[in-house]
Amino acid sequence: MTQTTTPTVSYATPASQRAPVDGDPILEVRDLRTYFPIRRGVFSRTVGHVKAVDGVSFDVRGGKTLGLVGESGCGKTTVGRTILRLIPATSGAVRYKGEDFFAYRGEELRRLRRQMQIIFQDPVSSLNPRMTVGNIIGEPIEVHGIARGRQRNEMVAGLLSRVGLDPAYAVRYPHEFSGGQRQRVGIARALALSPDFIVCDEPVSALDVSIQSQILNLLDDLQRERNIAYLFIAHNLAVVEHFSDEVAVMYLGRIVERATARELYANPKHPYTMALLSAVPEPNPRPARRRIVLKGEVGSASNPPSGCPFHTRCPLTREKAKESGANDIVEITSGGERFRVLRKCHDELPPLEQKQGEPGHVAACWVTK
Amino acid sequence: MASTTTTNGRPLLEIDNLNVAFNTDRGQIRPVRDVSLAIHEGQTVAVVGESGCGKSVTALSVLRLIPTPPGQYLGGAVRFDGRDLLALPERDMRTVRGREIAMIFQEPMTSLNPVYTIGDQIIEAVTLHQHVSATKARDIAEDALRDVGIADPGRRLGEYPHQMSGGMRQRVMIAMALSCRPRLLIADEPTTALDVTIQAQILELLRKLQRERGMAIMLITHDLGVVAENADVVAVMYASRVVEFATVEDLFDHPQHPYTQGLLRAVPKLNAHAQRLETIPGTVPNPARFPSGCKFHTRCPRTRELAASAPADQVVETSSGDERFRVLRRCHQEEPALREVLPRHGAACHQIAGYDAAPVLVPRSAHRREVTPEAVVDVNPEEVLKDRA
Repeated sequence: MTQTTTPTVSYATPASQRAPVDGDPILEVRDLRTYFPIRRGVFSRTVGHVKAVDGVSFDVRGGKTLGLVGESGCGKTTVGRTILRLIPATSGAVRYKGEDFFAYRGEELRRLRRQMQIIFQDPVSSLNPRMTVGNIIGEPIEVHGIARGRQRNEMVAGLLSRVGLDPAYAVRYPHEFSGGQRQRVGIARALALSPDFIVCDEPVSALDVSIQSQILNLLDDLQRERNIAYLFIAHNLAVVEHFSDEVAVMYLGRIVERATARELYANPKHPYTMALLSAVPEPNPRPARRRIVLKGEVGSASNPPSGCPFHTRCPLTREKAKESGANDIVEITSGGERFRVLRKCHDELPPLEQKQGEPGHVAACWVTK
Repeated sequence: MASTTTTNGRPLLEIDNLNVAFNTDRGQIRPVRDVSLAIHEGQTVAVVGESGCGKSVTALSVLRLIPTPPGQYLGGAVRFDGRDLLALPERDMRTVRGREIAMIFQEPMTSLNPVYTIGDQIIEAVTLHQHVSATKARDIAEDALRDVGIADPGRRLGEYPHQMSGGMRQRVMIAMALSCRPRLLIADEPTTALDVTIQAQILELLRKLQRERGMAIMLITHDLGVVAENADVVAVMYASRVVEFATVEDLFDHPQHPYTQGLLRAVPKLNAHAQRLETIPGTVPNPARFPSGCKFHTRCPRTRELAASAPADQVVETSSGDERFRVLRRCHQEEPALREVLPRHGAACHQIAGYDAAPVLVPRSAHRREVTPEAVVDVNPEEVLKDRA
């Protein structure tokens, strides 16, 4: 066995799981797990774990966008932060441009980190209120020894005008800006070190509708201009679908479906994705009459349901259970009601596997083909 | 053609020319200016707009929840079932709040008291407004939780807010608001903090309770999808005023105000990949620094486009932020009123064909929407998606 930090992980993607988006991966995430201990009692004994991220694998291609979508608590934010090592991973591996990112230490880590940045959801709490905008953007430039003094100020001015702000604003403080402008400052700061990968964690969720599209277009322009890859994390499926080349849907710490944005909309394979798609309200006063409403309890990441984590809410397994023999079904209680589900969904975790459709369209469901 | 079902009689709630001001250290700001609106029994009227447009202040004014000072009602009336709420003594107002008009807020975590059980809080609301025994109040509370789809309501009454998920807490808020069977529910961004699957459940619940009880709903939101699927009638607010008013079908089929048009085009839609989003330039105006004339002229694509080919004496150069541009003099100087530019469809924009000849519109309509989405549970989701396509 070779002496790397993660000897068991293979980076070779099986053909069936290769994403149908062109380009070489800039970031390869393999079997990533992030568990948080649950501590109780006087001695803070660990009594269990919240499995926030539980075996997640994907590639992000250079200059492309992978959208990561899911409900609150599904682990999507933790994925972004674990990749950047803002939260330590429990296990798994992240390879950045072919190099084992988790193995880096000290100066080398700093050098690599320059190329990987993050944009946060909340443009208020993610900017230091006591620093001028010029210093917020200029600090990383100085810390990484790229420029100082006048040269640094020129870079800051260039970044501000690139994100659509007056360079004269460099002397102002964050509270003098509106939400959309603050998000532009956050973007300028992320751009300061010329990254080629940015984690965008709900970058437009806190903004007004008319401002969201400005920021999305700006991110889109920057991607084309600078060939930046994005991991775009959001709960709004319409936004993710619009913005991403490829989309991964997360549920309770796992990816349950991944496909190109177009394919995912046209041909969803996981019943959870189907429910999400049906639930997005569309700006149409004559909506499709029927919407799927999920019943049952949302599982928790500290105590996820057995088998397929979605079986407690899954309308498909309940539907299929009606046609199945007594040996193949189990009765469960979820959300105070009793349901019959397929035994297989209750007992065994479905693998993420190729489904009928585009090559690379994978989903984790025992029922759909 | 849109069919209008007219319910007989007067609207349940009529807001008539409401004006609200806040007196601050830096002078007076006017979060609500000349707002009129009417809601009929069983109807959902949506008030749409972005932060600072005055939609929440309008809602709070209906319940007279604006602290005075610094707030001040500068005139107008809020008539509920014939009574002017703005003129009602505070003691009578207390029986209106919660009992006849209830409100649910965006944040289910901060609107519930963390040190009391769910049961204590609902029972308090019930005993405050209804003269019933403690046992009876508990039964009402239990029924209220059951009505909003909470399983095992008896046990849930003994739980604290932190023991529940966000969706569950929002249901508790709704249960509390509905426990006294109000005739009007004001829902201020009721689902903004929730996930889409939970949002769908909550909206379905509100539609069901409305059907069963004939309750009127004032739905305040910035989400045009939620509006399109739930409202009968829509008022779009911008810079403290109603700038467009129409039935939900008319508003989405042929929006008239450039702001509404811009908002509709700026929203990413499912299955519209990789098209560039259209944007509204500039930022949402701060009520402390509204521009002159039409408050939208600093961001309006229509006035800029028309100014490019207009005679020089009708054009002024102006600036917003760091940008300088030319707009029509009239848009810069004169604030337009809401006029009926199409049948029963009002918009406040000088540059709509026929605007000057159109009569001033009082936003009031008993219209009911044509298509109501129907929630389905326990069906094969593949089938549902098939009929969508």
